[in-house]
This record gives sequence, C-alpha cells and structure tokens, in this order.
Amino acid sequence: MRKLTRNKRGQFVIIAVLIMAVMIIALAALMNRAVTYYTHEPWEEYLTLIGNIELSSNRLIELSLTNYTNAATPDPNILKNALDQWQINLTRIYPGRGVSLNYSNYFIVPDWNKTSSSSKATASFTVDIASIGLSGYKFTATAFLNLTVLATSTYQINVTVKVEDGRPLTNLGKANFQVSNSSMSFTIMNVTGYYDQREALVYTIECNQTITTPITVSVWDPRGIQVMAKYP
Amino acid sequence: MERIGGRKANRNKGQMRIIEVILASFIIVFALSFVNILASTPTSPKYEATELEKVGYNALHDLDDQGLLARFVYNQEWENLTSALRVLLPVNVYFNATVYDLNGNALNNAPMFYGDPATFAGFKNIASVTYGLVGYPTKFNATYYEATYVPRILTLQLLRGS
Repeated sequence: MRKLTRNKRGQFVIIAVLIMAVMIIALAALMNRAVTYYTHEPWEEYLTLIGNIELSSNRLIELSLTNYTNAATPDPNILKNALDQWQINLTRIYPGRGVSLNYSNYFIVPDWNKTSSSSKATASFTVDIASIGLSGYKFTATAFLNLTVLATSTYQINVTVKVEDGRPLTNLGKANFQVSNSSMSFTIMNVTGYYDQREALVYTIECNQTITTPITVSVWDPRGIQVMAKYP
Repeated sequence: MERIGGRKANRNKGQMRIIEVILASFIIVFALSFVNILASTPTSPKYEATELEKVGYNALHDLDDQGLLARFVYNQEWENLTSALRVLLPVNVYFNATVYDLNGNALNNAPMFYGDPATFAGFKNIASVTYGLVGYPTKFNATYYEATYVPRILTLQLLRGS
C-alpha cells in the first residue's frame, strides 16, 4: 500500500501511454480507410456476373416448374427445352465475355395426391467465363414446394406449405388454395396462419360447407408453382 | 512544515500534468474527428466506374431477389422501376435504365432516369451494368398460372454527381 501511494509518477505514465495508444489506433484506422478505399480487386467485377447467372438460372427452373405443374398435359421435356434455350440466350445477353453454361442432373418430379405432396425441379450447372479464364464454376438450382395436410375438422383443414430448405411459406391467402372432394368444390371463407412449435407455420383453411373426406387440397405459391395433396 | 508544503506542491504538479494530458488528448481526438468529417474522399477515375458498377448491380440483384425486378420489367411498370432504383441507389448517383429484348430493341417507351439525361452524353466515368432476366409467371385465373420464357436485358448506366 505504501509503495502504491509513493509511485504516483507511474500512474501518470500509464495514463499517458493509454491515451497515446488510443490516438495511434485512431490514426491507423483513418490511414487504413484512406489506403483501402480504392483497392481494386478484379475478381469482384465477375462475381456480379456469376451472381446474375445463378439467380436467373434459378428463376428458369421455377418458371419451368410453374408451367409443368399448371399444364393439363405436362410436357416432359419442358425443363430440357428451357435449359437449352437459356444456354443459347446467355451468350446473347453477355456478348464478348465468353460465357458458356452447361447443365446436368436435371429433373422435374411432381409427387402429388398424397397427404404430404410436393413439386420439385432441379438442375446442376457449370459456368465458364473465357474472358477471365474462369472454368468449372458449379452451382445447383432447385425449385421446391411442399403441401402437407395435417388434419381436418367439420369446417376446417390444417395444412403446412414449405419451400426450399423446408422453410415455411408466409403470406398465403384464400386465393392461393383450392379444396374439393369427389363431388364438389368447397368455397374457402378464410385462411389464417398460426405459429406451431413443430411446423413453424400452420394454415387453417375455413370452408363454408361440412368437409367430407377424402378431400383434395391444392396450393399455388406466388411463383405460380402448384401442388395437389389428398387427405387421408 | 516546509517538507509537507513541498510534498503538496509536487502532488499538485502531478495532477496538473494529468489534466493537461487529458485536455491535450481531447483536442487531438476532436481535431481528428473534425478532419474525418470534412475530408472528402478523392474520386479515382480508374476505379470510380467499378465502384458504381458494384452499387448498380447490388441494387438490381436486391430487386430481383425479392421478385420485384421481373414484375416491373414484364408488367412494364417503368415508373415503379425508376422509383425503386431511386430508393436503392445513393442520392448522388444518377442513372439511366433501358430494357431491351434479345434483338436489341428498346422496350421501355417511358424513359427511366434520374438526373439530367444530357449529363450522360458528355461524361467520361459512366459505369454500365447489364442484367439478364428470364421470364415471369402470369396468373390467368384462380387456378391457372403460365410462365413465359422471354429473356430481357436491363442496362443501367450510372454516374456520380457532385
């Protein structure tokens, strides 16, 4: 204790060093910002191009699945035809960049008329960009929609609607659903969603007539992809 | 008594040093932050276009990711597209957007720009972003959607105003 009270100069040195350290850090941050503001990284320019190709390829898969699930007689080659067109058109969208797109492992699978039904389309892509010597950039585009009928009561049906990675689809209304059985189509009065610990989001479809099973429930998501499920 | 007085004087001297240092550091920190506020980052003609391309691409990618870009382009909502770009791009960035089909025909009958269009003619550091779109689903009735595969090319010219 005695030593502490004697060493007052030491305290001054510590405070001075701390303040100088703060000033040096502040100066270093300022200098770093000035130096790195215009650091040129050429690969960044091509990230934007690859990002656009990835997102557009994903949209293409979604469009193909929309057309496939809405057609009265679906064309089994719908995805392949769209992919072939996209392959050609991509070089017209980015002329002079040497963009080349190859696809593989593509399929469309509508797994309908079950309690848990789904529509799925997927394709794997490989992108080459000759202008920067990039080759073999791989990515997979998938479009997916699942409809599961959980339970029915006199006037209500509980369902879950999930998209890619099992994420629940939000903001669905009565315009997105259709309910019918072998003899009639039910008028949907209201669709409400509530939080469920297991399913995250459960929609309750309220009809104006007594629901007699077996029923068929259809859903269209905002992308226009359709799924049809049967219960039980 | 003299000894006690000397000690007191020394102690006061030490305290004053600390106060001086604190005051001096406050002045330095204040000066640094003042300089930081006033400092205008110099524009580099070489990298300015690259920076603007990134800004423009990010804006288009954000719109596309939310499904808005395709809606604006395929439903010909040119005013909405202009407003969305004005919201997403920094205030001092002027733009001129045009939508083309694959044959190079401009499709937007209404011009989509922010800033004086004449500026784009005489300015050197103009950044240009090309963004491809594949198509858009249309709802015909409650139970029928049809998606049209009609690629569109959106070009966005950007320049930074003063």
